[in-house]
Order: sequence, then C-alpha cells, then structure tokens
Amino acid sequence: MEALSIIPVQFLHGLVYGMLLFLVASGLTLIFGMMGVLNFAHGALYMLGAYFSFSILRWTGQFWLCMIVAPLLVGAFGILMERFLLRQVHRYGHAHELLLTFGLAYIIEELVKWIWGNQPLHVEIPAMLAGSVQFLGITYPTYRLFILLISAIVFAVLFLILYKTRAGIIVTAAVSRAEMVNALGINVPLVFMLLFGVGGALAGLAGVIGGPYLITNPGMASTIIIDLFVVVVVGGLGSLPGALLASFLIGELQSFGILLIPQMAIALEFLLMAVVLIVKPEGLLGDKA
Amino acid sequence: MHRSRFTWLQIVVVILLLLVLPKLISEYRLNLVITMMIYSIFALSYNMLFGQGGLLSFGHAAYFGFGAYTTVILIKQLEVSLPLGIMLGGLAGAFLGCAFGVFVVRLRGVAFALLTLAFNQLIYVTAEKWRSVTGGEDGIAFMRPNLFLGGWEIDLWATLNWYYFVLIVTVFSIGCLWYLTLTPLGRLNLCMRENEERARFIGYNTYASRLLIYTLAGFFAGIAGGLAASFQEFVTTTFINLDKATDVLMMTFIGGGGTFFGPVIGACALTLINDLLSSWLERWAIVQGGLFILLVLYAPNGLSGLYMSIRERWDAQKRGNTRS
Repeated sequence: MEALSIIPVQFLHGLVYGMLLFLVASGLTLIFGMMGVLNFAHGALYMLGAYFSFSILRWTGQFWLCMIVAPLLVGAFGILMERFLLRQVHRYGHAHELLLTFGLAYIIEELVKWIWGNQPLHVEIPAMLAGSVQFLGITYPTYRLFILLISAIVFAVLFLILYKTRAGIIVTAAVSRAEMVNALGINVPLVFMLLFGVGGALAGLAGVIGGPYLITNPGMASTIIIDLFVVVVVGGLGSLPGALLASFLIGELQSFGILLIPQMAIALEFLLMAVVLIVKPEGLLGDKA
Repeated sequence: MHRSRFTWLQIVVVILLLLVLPKLISEYRLNLVITMMIYSIFALSYNMLFGQGGLLSFGHAAYFGFGAYTTVILIKQLEVSLPLGIMLGGLAGAFLGCAFGVFVVRLRGVAFALLTLAFNQLIYVTAEKWRSVTGGEDGIAFMRPNLFLGGWEIDLWATLNWYYFVLIVTVFSIGCLWYLTLTPLGRLNLCMRENEERARFIGYNTYASRLLIYTLAGFFAGIAGGLAASFQEFVTTTFINLDKATDVLMMTFIGGGGTFFGPVIGACALTLINDLLSSWLERWAIVQGGLFILLVLYAPNGLSGLYMSIRERWDAQKRGNTRS
C-alpha cells in the first residue's frame, strides 16, 4: 500500500515543481524565444517577486494584494531594464545583452542580500490555502494544487493571447520581421519593451507563488536560473507548449530521479540539456532556425 | 582586433620588475601577485575562445577544476613531482576540452554558451557527488611537495621560492599563448570569428581547427587550475562551480578581450579590487557588478578597449593640433 501510493504522490510533487518552473520559464520564453535575449537576470526577477511579496505581506497581510502588486512592480522593473539598459547594448549583439543581464543578476542578488539579509525568510501561506485536500485516497497540500491552478491559467491565457489575438500576431510578426512591422506603423521598440514587462511580471508572479513553497532566500535566483535555461533549451526557443512540456519533464525527472538514483539525480537534467543541444539544437518543440 | 602596442623592451622591463618584486613588497602582497599570475593564465586561456574566437563560454571552470583535481590527486596518491603534476593537470584539462569540444564547437552563440554551461554543471555535480575520489564538498587538502632539481632540493613552501616557481610557469604559459596568436592556427581563430563561412570556403577545416583551439584553451585552464590548487594546497568544488566559470568571464571582459594582454589587466584588476574592497566594504560585490555593467554599457571592449579608444582620440587630437 505504502509503496504503491508513493508513485502518484511523487508524480504530483514533480508536477507541482514542473509547473512552478513553467510559470517562471513562461516569461523567459517570451523574452528569449521571441526577442533573442537570453535574460540571465530572469531568475533574479523571480527572486524580486518573492521578496517584494514578503514585504507587502508584512505590511498589509494580504496575500491576494501581493499577487497583483508584486508582479506589477517586477514588470515595471523589467520595462526599465529593457528601456535604459538592454536597448543601449542591442547594437553590440546578443553576447553583450547576455553579459548585461548577467551583471544585473549579480547586482540584484547582492542588493537582496543587503536589504533583506542572507538568511532565508518564512512566508506564511494564506489561511484559505493552508490546509490539505483529500482526493483519490491521497492527502495533498492545497497550496500546491493552487500552484497547479495558477500555472494552468497562465498557460491558457498566454496561449490564447499569443496565437489567437491581434496583439499576439503583432508580437510574433515583430519578432521575425521587425523592420517590416515597424514600417507598417507599429511601434516595435514599444512592443519589445512591453514584452519585457510582461515577461518580468510573469517572473514576479512566479516569485509570489513560489516564495512560500520553495523558501525565499538570496540563493533562489541562481538555483532556478539553470533549471530555466534547461527548460527553454529543451522545450525549444520561444515555444510556449515546448516550455510546458520541458517543465513537466524536468519536474518529473527530478522527482523520480531523487527516488531512484539519489546520487546522480541533479545530473539528469544537465544530461538532458546536453543531449538536446547536441541532437536537436532547436529543442523538442522549437521551430528549425 | 587591435594589436597591442608593446615592445620587447616593455616586456623585458615587466619581467625584470617581477623578478625584483619580492624585494619591494610584503609577503602578503606577494601572495596577491601570485594569485594575479595564476588567474592571468586562466583568463588568457579563456580569451582564446572569448576574444579571439568570438565564443561566449559559461563552462571554462570545468577544465580549470578538472586540472586542479588531477594535479592534487596525482601528487597526493602517486607522489608525482609538482611540475609533472601541474603538467598532467594541463593535459587532463586538454583531454576534457577535446572530449567536450567534439560537441560544443559545432555550436555558436547562445547554444554554445548553454552547452558549455551544461557540461560545466555535469562536471561540477560529478565532483560534488563522487565523494570517494573528490572528497565532495569537503574537497581534498594536500601538501605542496618540494622540488628536486638535479640533486638540489628547493623548499616550495617558502613564499619566495613558490613565487619564482609560479612566475616561471606563468611567463612560459603566457609566452606559449602569445606565440599561438602568431601561428596560422591563431590567425585562423580570428578569421573564423569574423567569417567562418569564408574560412571554410578557402579550404580550412574549421571544425578541426576550433576543436584544436578548444582543446588548447582547456590545456592552459588546466595548468592554471593545477597551479591554483597547489597554491592553496586544497581543492574543492568551488574550483569548478558556475561562479568560477563566470569569474573568468568577468575578468576577461573587464580587462578586454580585444587585446592580447587585456585579460591579464582584468585578472589583476579583479584580484586587486576583490582584496581592497572586501577588507573595508562589506558589499563590495555590488561595486564589482556595477563596474561590470558600466563597462558593458560604455566600454564594450573592456578597460584595454577603453584605453585604446582614448589613446586613439588623443593621437588624433595631437595630429590635429600639429596641423593647425
């Protein structure tokens, strides 16, 4: 009985981590896949979301307010970052954009340590989500199911916007033929700036949600950034369904990896990333470049 | 690429200065110079890829760390001599560079950066988990053995002797790296950065050439790793982690990848900043990050690039003045 029930529970653990990863990675997918900017600071934006949420929660005690305000703040930060920093180095090429975001990630991490301290912070789960739910003979924390719900909503909304609306068409077109779209009267720099803002806001939202689940600490950015790169690479550049699939795979790989081969579990995802880059550099669901 | 304007005279002066340096500065400062020299080799090996080859790697610590572990384990277990241990550390770095290079040199840009990162993490995780060989996070401590030269025993534990040992290895390595830039392979490296398709069209085997360059970069990173481990008499996973991989990137970028000696400037500058600021500024890393961002924004070719452009402007102004 015990041995059998561990499989669905472990699967759920993997799914929850995978979907949280997707929540963070969705913003990176927008930015990296569509603008070609490998944003090293994306993990740092996610961390900012978690810390902003911590402070807002302390001042107001409203978790729901955190879910609105923190992403807006991080989104605004993303917009400033694009407008005043990234746009300046765009002409030097992708390597410089990467270096810039890398420097930013470095500074944000140090600032967070400075402002909030080195020690991990405890973020209270709202009372409404604090209990656990029983279904199919399993008892599972409500908050983790809440993570699943939010991820599903984010995926659905992003998918509809990107593939079914005019705004989505403009974004996709601006990415592949920036000059043409610009000539058609659409302000492409503005589109990119907003895209960066949305990407940042998604990271911020993921931070709010992930903070109570994955412990808010100054190392959370550098821990997640590598997982994020794995997701974006494995899923395929700019592919939202790809990011979802890859997040799911990595969540399960970690969850069952720790169960089956605890020693080498963390190596699995790097192995997966290396194999995908070698065999299918465009990723599982990515377009051929 | 700008050719750095130095003369043999300048090089001789610098080497002479380094030779008499122990007379001029304290032992503490001397240790700092040793660190600078070791990181100079590491940064220069990285610049074979970054500045000269136009490849952004996030995984150069793998070769540094692999070399370091190899040196330490060989000296501790098999009691090989120090020069041989460091040499074998370099060869280990070259071996790993060749093995990974087979895959990574086919890629460019972001894909290259990410695959090097994946390989770096694989080596890191292996070092962390394979406790029986690497000691895991505790690492391995050992004693720097004395050097036997034709019946003479040189005590390398003394800072002065150790300084000269590192100096010899550094001068020799930098000489090799500099000579490499003059060889057809070194010139081809620049050519492939500018236009790989054309290089292939002329008839060069760009894959094999890049692989060879990647292997050589691994070799010198391994030498630097072996030296660093011997210096600290200790090796841990921090020799191999992502921080180490990005440190060398920072050094090279801050110094400037566009000139041969740029990375040396970066290695010295960061070591110095690190030492000066960390003693009186708790959050000195913010200064380092800020400096880095300012350089990315306003001096995309690093400190040496900044110096070059100021000098060019100055020269132009001087020419303008004499004309009027």
